[in-house]
Amino acid sequence: MSRKLFLGISLIVILAMVLSACAPKVVETATPVETAAPVEAAEPTAAPVAEEITLRWRTRPDNQAEIDVYSAVSADLDAAMEGVTLVYEPGGSETSSYQDVLKTEIGAGTAPDVFWIPGTDVADFATRGLILDMKSMADATEGFSAGDFYPGPMYHLTYNPETSMTGEALWGLPRDVSTFALYLNLDLIAEAGADDPRELVKEGKWTWEAFLDVAKKVQALGSDVYGYGANAWWGPYGVWINSAGGNFYNADRTACGLDTPEAIAGLTFERQLYVEDKVAVPYGEDSEPPFMAGKVAMFQNGRWATPGVRANANFNWDVVELPTGASGQGNWLFWGAYVVNANTEHSEEAWKLVQMLTTAETQGKIAALGANIPSRMSQEAFDAFLTFTPPANNQAFLNGIADANKPTAEGPLWAGSWPNYDSIMGPMVSKVLNGELTIEDYQKTICVEANKAFEH
Amino acid sequence: MQVQKTHKSINQTQLIIKVTTAWHFLLSISGIFLIAYIIFPHGLKNIPVWLSYISAILIGLLSIGSFYSAFKLIKLQRQGRTASLVVNYIGLVVTALLFFQNLGIFLGVDALAKTFGSSIGWLSGVLLGYLVYTIGDRYHYRIQIEEMFHKIGKYIALIFFAIFLIKSGLFPALIYLAKQMILPSNFVILFVVIVFGLAIWSMWREPTALYLNRTNAQTEALEGYLFLSPNLIGFLIFFAFPLVFSFFISLTDWDAFGNSNFIGLANYFELFKLNLKQLANSTQDFFQVMDGSIFSELLRFNMFGKSYVLGAADARFWIALRNTLVFGIVTVPLSAIPALFLANILNSKIPGMKIFRAIYFLPSIAAVVGISLIWQWLYNATIGYINYFITVGLDFINSVFSTGYPQAQIRWLSESRTALLAIIIVSAWQTMGFNTVLFLAGLQNVPKELYEAATVDGAGRWAKFWKITLPLLAPTTFFVITTTTIQAFQVFEQVFIMTNPPGSPGTSTLTIVLYLYQNGFQRFQQGYAAAIAWVLFIVIFSVTLLQFRSQRKTGAYDV
Repeated sequence: MSRKLFLGISLIVILAMVLSACAPKVVETATPVETAAPVEAAEPTAAPVAEEITLRWRTRPDNQAEIDVYSAVSADLDAAMEGVTLVYEPGGSETSSYQDVLKTEIGAGTAPDVFWIPGTDVADFATRGLILDMKSMADATEGFSAGDFYPGPMYHLTYNPETSMTGEALWGLPRDVSTFALYLNLDLIAEAGADDPRELVKEGKWTWEAFLDVAKKVQALGSDVYGYGANAWWGPYGVWINSAGGNFYNADRTACGLDTPEAIAGLTFERQLYVEDKVAVPYGEDSEPPFMAGKVAMFQNGRWATPGVRANANFNWDVVELPTGASGQGNWLFWGAYVVNANTEHSEEAWKLVQMLTTAETQGKIAALGANIPSRMSQEAFDAFLTFTPPANNQAFLNGIADANKPTAEGPLWAGSWPNYDSIMGPMVSKVLNGELTIEDYQKTICVEANKAFEH
Repeated sequence: MQVQKTHKSINQTQLIIKVTTAWHFLLSISGIFLIAYIIFPHGLKNIPVWLSYISAILIGLLSIGSFYSAFKLIKLQRQGRTASLVVNYIGLVVTALLFFQNLGIFLGVDALAKTFGSSIGWLSGVLLGYLVYTIGDRYHYRIQIEEMFHKIGKYIALIFFAIFLIKSGLFPALIYLAKQMILPSNFVILFVVIVFGLAIWSMWREPTALYLNRTNAQTEALEGYLFLSPNLIGFLIFFAFPLVFSFFISLTDWDAFGNSNFIGLANYFELFKLNLKQLANSTQDFFQVMDGSIFSELLRFNMFGKSYVLGAADARFWIALRNTLVFGIVTVPLSAIPALFLANILNSKIPGMKIFRAIYFLPSIAAVVGISLIWQWLYNATIGYINYFITVGLDFINSVFSTGYPQAQIRWLSESRTALLAIIIVSAWQTMGFNTVLFLAGLQNVPKELYEAATVDGAGRWAKFWKITLPLLAPTTFFVITTTTIQAFQVFEQVFIMTNPPGSPGTSTLTIVLYLYQNGFQRFQQGYAAAIAWVLFIVIFSVTLLQFRSQRKTGAYDV
């Protein structure tokens, strides 16, 4: 190629790049992605007319199927909201987590108008003025009732940190809820000759003792086979503490409650599973791969694990609710919420979008994917959730969050820092469950250390 | 006639200098107004406070420089020209960047990535055109055919390139650009850019330079700095400024969202707040001797028959520092020594050796995330391949030698004793390939004559390695060790991905950068995180300095 041609093309390339870079930012289209084919370059949008408002919203999806459903939901709502153009963003990136990207964008002032955050983050976001209190707008909205949602999440979402009273604010509405169940490898349980946990539930005999009995019988099949498996974070060990009647905090959540006799009883039982009886996948090891490999009989996980198990399990499986201890199942009610950016220029429209994202109809569409339980206590949404089988025993999840089983709502720490609390509690609990710290030493030190996470 | 022309030129130059002087006075006064507007509470409300102060300082400096320039130009001193060129050049760059920003070019780069992805296929047509063009070169003996192929090739390439540009969104971009240009604010900024450009031209032109008695040294210096300026500006914006800014942040309790108070060295005091107490006996409770609401137990030790306990206000920081140092101390030799031996093996002229060199280099270019996930699976205590192969090996030994070794169930990543080691192995494995290539390059610079002479003297392979290879590789070794050490002290990704939760079990894999990340992004303590970053910087700087000094003593690396 001649030098002139080369130089000419190079100049055109550089010029074209500069000019192309001038084009308005291409935004994700709201239409669902149906094929893996490369998305055509979005036509740069014409300058919006004065009345047209663009609202960006974001929620963390777990997989492409969820991205597709959220995109479809966005397109439907876009059509329903006059004068508003919705732009859905899945959030996160290949190298950064959803939360990191979101926080960076909030810091830079480029965060979306409406976004989803985990329940544990609500206090941090609210007290730092990052999200909008929508109470006044909600009060003025005809037909809106906070009572349509599970009371656990709404306790925190309506908490006013200035008055320390619940019901005096509205930071957002829960997108969905979830809870723990035990994913069962029915083949392994049958091979071990253990009782079927689902039958034990029906007979009202699904207790810690019965659970331990099944786990021991399965573990006896071989040194590489385990009765129980769970991953290493606060959710699984919190269940045993809750189930024994304990709690992470004291009654008003202003101090550590991990050293109470009940909390210690729960942790002692869990330690027995890992250290004394060795029926559990070693603490800290990812339990999902051995479960998928058919080496674990009871894998404790949330509803979000269902699509993965459906796709990968090559054995007969189902789910069962958690065994009951002194204080019942002790299950968590996990949740996250749609909140409104405090810096949005369209708060009214954002509030409307939050409501529309949490209608029974919208939640039903998302629940039909099988990964979430609707946060709105609506039969329509529950029915959509129950249709997603396997597992056959979907009811186990709903039972886990039924009022009768007294689930504990995952919640932020209004009087302290949850990330600090978690970073103190997690390592100490892991030492206990790894057999590196005795229960006595743990009880002596845990709350002295964990109370540092509270503002005194 | 010539005298008249010269006189006219001098008059023209004097006029240009006067206009430029007036421009500088105007610039100084405008700068003062701009500062007042920025600092005034109701001025620029949309920019953060820190940015408004930095802008005010920068504009203040430019105003002073502009005033100095005008003052010197009145006196017709060459320093005035230099100052004028510097001020106008900075002004040109800043206003040009502002102009591009207003046009949306920087945000548009994001869009570019997406549109390129969907249209890049059309560039294959350009390649086709090039191939057609090159076919013409085969017909040197028939010039008409050659030219025909060249012409067809060019047109094919141009047509496909035009399609590529259109598909990339060139026309909408041009329309958008035209619309943006019409906006009065952009028009004003463009006008200022042009004025800065004209002011530079007015001082750069040779008659002005000669009139102001420029020297060759001055010209050379200005030209040198001009060539240096793109890099220098990049360095200042993307390195020096963030560095200074991060130090400023470390003196605040900034949470990244605008909530910030200046707290001086409080973050550093918190990091280094330690308390040493004597214990009645080695098992005495920590809380009996120290206030548990402030300190956490860090270390117990015996000295001269007495027991002591060391408490720290932030014990996790010290644990992270210790883990990082241990990681560095073990990883560096593990990734350097095997690399040296591998390089020696790969330096031989055996067929297929180039393939092996590529294979060893692969981990260095593979994504850390992918590698970490694969190793996480390999390390899995229950179904991981590492334990599986160890078990197979032990079974074989048991069956052959009738021994009774139990099944291997090493909890690589879930036990405090082994977790850091597991991370070290991955890191060393990953770094080794790159170090091997560096050693290989060093080895190929060792003169062959030395080995031949040593052979004649009867030296064996080991003696040659020890007496020739190693000393002559000293510069490479120094480079390898220094860069690997710096890299090791910044370990983050492997720990973040392979351990769950990151830093576990307990705090056995908590490293400084991970702790920094946790503070900055999870606990909203950017100020504290910045202080940790500065401590890490000082640690790395000190270690590197020590390495440089020790290397200087040996004289192997001339720095």
